[in-house]
Amino acid sequence: MPFKKQYDSLSSEDLFRKFHIDLPLLTAFLILFSISLIAIYSASNSDINAVIDQSIRIGISLAAMILIAQMSPLDYERIAPWLYSLCFILLGLVLILGETRNGATRWLNIGISFQPSELMKIGMPLMVARYIARESLPPSNTSIALAIMIVILPTYLIYLEPDLGTSVLVAFSGLIVIFLSGIKKRYLVIAFSLFITSLPLIWPMINEFQRKRVLTFLNPEKDPLGAGYHIIQSKIAIGSGGLFGKGWLNGSQGQLDFLPERTTDFIFSILAEEFGLVGIAIIICVYLFIVGRGILIAINSQDLFSRLIAASISLTFFIYVFVNISMTIGLLPVVGVPLPLISRGGTSMVTLMILLGMLMSVGTHKRLVTK
Amino acid sequence: MSFKSIITQKEDQNIFLNRILFSSLLILLLASIIFIRLVFLQIYDSDQYKLRSLNNTIRTQSVPPSRGLIFDRNNNVLAENRPVFQLEMIPEQVQHIEKTLDQLAGLELINIKKIDALKEKIDSSYQFKAITLNTKLSEKQIAIFANNRNIFKGIDIKTRLTRYYPKGEIFSHALGYVGSISSNDYLRFDSAIYTGKEQIGKTSIERDYETSLHGYPGKEKLLVNVRGRVMDRLDTQPFEPGNNLILTLDTRLQEVAYDAMQGKKGAVVGIDPSNGEILIFISTPSYDPNKISQGMSNSEYAAFQNNKNKPLFNRAIAGQYPPGSTIKPMLALGGLEMGYINPDNFIPCEGHYFLPNYSRPFNDWTTHGSVNTKRAIQASCDVYFYELAVKMGIENMSAFLSNFNLGKKTLIDIGSEKKGVIPNRAWKKNNFKSKQNQSWFKGETVIAGIGQGYMLATPLQLAMATVMIANRGSAFQPHLVRAIENIKTGELQYTPTEEINNLEHIKEEHWDIIHQGMIAVVNERRGTAYGIFQPNVPIAGKTGSSQVFSIDKSSNKEVPEELRDHGLFIGFAPLKTPKIALTVIIENGGGGRLAAAPVAEKIMQAILDSEKKNAL
Repeated sequence: MPFKKQYDSLSSEDLFRKFHIDLPLLTAFLILFSISLIAIYSASNSDINAVIDQSIRIGISLAAMILIAQMSPLDYERIAPWLYSLCFILLGLVLILGETRNGATRWLNIGISFQPSELMKIGMPLMVARYIARESLPPSNTSIALAIMIVILPTYLIYLEPDLGTSVLVAFSGLIVIFLSGIKKRYLVIAFSLFITSLPLIWPMINEFQRKRVLTFLNPEKDPLGAGYHIIQSKIAIGSGGLFGKGWLNGSQGQLDFLPERTTDFIFSILAEEFGLVGIAIIICVYLFIVGRGILIAINSQDLFSRLIAASISLTFFIYVFVNISMTIGLLPVVGVPLPLISRGGTSMVTLMILLGMLMSVGTHKRLVTK
Repeated sequence: MSFKSIITQKEDQNIFLNRILFSSLLILLLASIIFIRLVFLQIYDSDQYKLRSLNNTIRTQSVPPSRGLIFDRNNNVLAENRPVFQLEMIPEQVQHIEKTLDQLAGLELINIKKIDALKEKIDSSYQFKAITLNTKLSEKQIAIFANNRNIFKGIDIKTRLTRYYPKGEIFSHALGYVGSISSNDYLRFDSAIYTGKEQIGKTSIERDYETSLHGYPGKEKLLVNVRGRVMDRLDTQPFEPGNNLILTLDTRLQEVAYDAMQGKKGAVVGIDPSNGEILIFISTPSYDPNKISQGMSNSEYAAFQNNKNKPLFNRAIAGQYPPGSTIKPMLALGGLEMGYINPDNFIPCEGHYFLPNYSRPFNDWTTHGSVNTKRAIQASCDVYFYELAVKMGIENMSAFLSNFNLGKKTLIDIGSEKKGVIPNRAWKKNNFKSKQNQSWFKGETVIAGIGQGYMLATPLQLAMATVMIANRGSAFQPHLVRAIENIKTGELQYTPTEEINNLEHIKEEHWDIIHQGMIAVVNERRGTAYGIFQPNVPIAGKTGSSQVFSIDKSSNKEVPEELRDHGLFIGFAPLKTPKIALTVIIENGGGGRLAAAPVAEKIMQAILDSEKKNAL
């Protein structure tokens, strides 16, 4: 029965492998997407349209992810310099021609309005990884210096928009590659001490708005109705959720509008209020599973470029999660980073899913390389 | 990368693995920090945050109690709570606010002049909170709105309770009125039991029985969102309604009396001599308490206060008038008791009384010829009482008249009562500034004999004195509230009546003489009220005219109204067991016979008629 056998093999794991989809990762994504819809329904005061909109975004993001996963890591390596350069030029254009909303110039309108800084989240790790991977590890000092330049220039452009949160995250996705390439620990220690000692110098250079954010973070109760309001209400939502939560659609902080930005930056607080520590712990485990799976893919991949981008994507993903949750629980200042795959929002989700598509590509294309 | 050797690949991998391991540990560390922080928030400090979350969303709101009702002695409602219909708009539900307001004005549902003010109010308020467009809709307006309801989305009719007095002006001075709470009111009452939304008693019974009528507010626990919008009612603790009052007043008599007082300025007070219950309590001109209670504009209220006829002035207890000749039966009683006069002695009256050293005579209103005590009362002879006054002296007079509770408050159960004046030497000394004016003149004693000069009494005081005459000495503390009905138990708590009697020592035959005089006033030829009443009625009375301004009597017709004499009448009926002791005072009415006695006649006849009916 050769026919039957062929049919069997097609209907199982091989089918996913053929389309370069990592089943455990996909499962984890789908779990988070479901949670996203549940949370958005609650956070939007039971607005089914918000859920439909988010479903459409999820659909587009999944399609983008699958599409990207079909390309091999070699393709990414090839296009990296072009993508990086394009992003860089666009970032320059933003500062000249960009749209200003709420005092920040982040958008470029070419028929549709978008943020080039989002695109740089993809371009940055690819470019740094390609640059580092051209020679063996550990990289030479000049390579490191140049790699740092590759990171700093676009970061500074994004910072000028101003968009402190994104610039830090973009910088992180590049720096993590340099770190993984085996830069000497000595340099790390020096860099870290330099950063700490230069803080008093940097502080006056940061603009008023961002300084206020940091100060508010340090003492939210000083201005409970103004700048500290977000943090206080978020902590009340999370704390009052307790161990098991108040139940879906029963969180008073969310349902009665006390919590601002609750479909986007503060959606974690809604989940914590309604599903409690138990629910939150499950969600964090799903995130950790994705990160772990990504690291495994990085370790198992055969070439340095693939390894570096897989690891960078996984660690950056974790940092997104960490920064978002930390700001809702008052561990970090509010910097406007959404909760990956759960917060409402189009661009950031597509960007993230493209990166995760690359992760899948690395995970599923390695056999082709080795064989 | 295909150029790289296997060895360098291995080396790459080791460095990479090393770093990945370090990163993984860092991830676990950061994840643990988050987790520990969450444990602190959600378990360790959870109770504190739960409390803060509740404080965010729960508001307690007090619900005003419904005010106690007021009934007359026959359970007719005198004050109740009625829903008033008002037009409200919830701005967020209205699509075109300006257009809608114009349409409402077109249908005369709102005042076109108020549109700009309303727009401003709407712009500055929460869009989900109801805004009152019109505080009081008429029946017609309600009908118009009902017909057009479908075109006015977001606009609705809401009800609120306000005080309503079905009998309007007739009872206003007895009941008083209510109004919104002012800061002064909080000084008088316990602010803890007021929600600020209810109406509070401002005068008379509404004011002085406020604690009984008010009740206790309820509480509502409300769930609100961040903008204060009420999302849900969590818990309601109902209010305790105020207690009802049952008054001593008799609506039928009150109506007869009010009717008789139409167009006149003055007061009528009628008391049941057997228990001090006030049956009639009227002060005219009156006012519509409904208008005041439902809210008046400042200009309307000012017009009320500046009205020269003073409709808000409670003449029955605060109006002080010279009692005039109504004082004569009491003085006669004193004269008889102290032996200054002999009831059978006739003295001549030629229309004048001369006092030694006084150049001008004291005039009588007419020439009476020969009068004894009875005749002097019957025909109201001034000369007789001038002489008696001089014989008694002012100190004896004032001491005796004080026994009739004149010159001091009756302690009726509503406030703002005036105490009147029974003058004597001490009084004059205390009440005049210059040394010259402080001494007492004999001429002042003479006119005190006919209730003129400094002597003042309120209608209520005269009614109380009439009770004592009718009862031959005794009286009860006058009161308007017969009982308070405890709304929870249904129990009636009656107002205790205390008997007062300062005249026990008076001989019966002396009472007989002044009663005969008073009966003759009504029933015998030459009686000052003769012909006003039906012939041979069991009524005793006494007229009085008190001078407002000293003028030549002959030119009475040309005297401007405000300078005319006050007309008074006191009396009681029926004679055997008196059911009512009555005082009628007509300001500037021109005299007791013509102004006051006809009013008294209508009231007393009504009482006698119903007595007859009961007897059948």
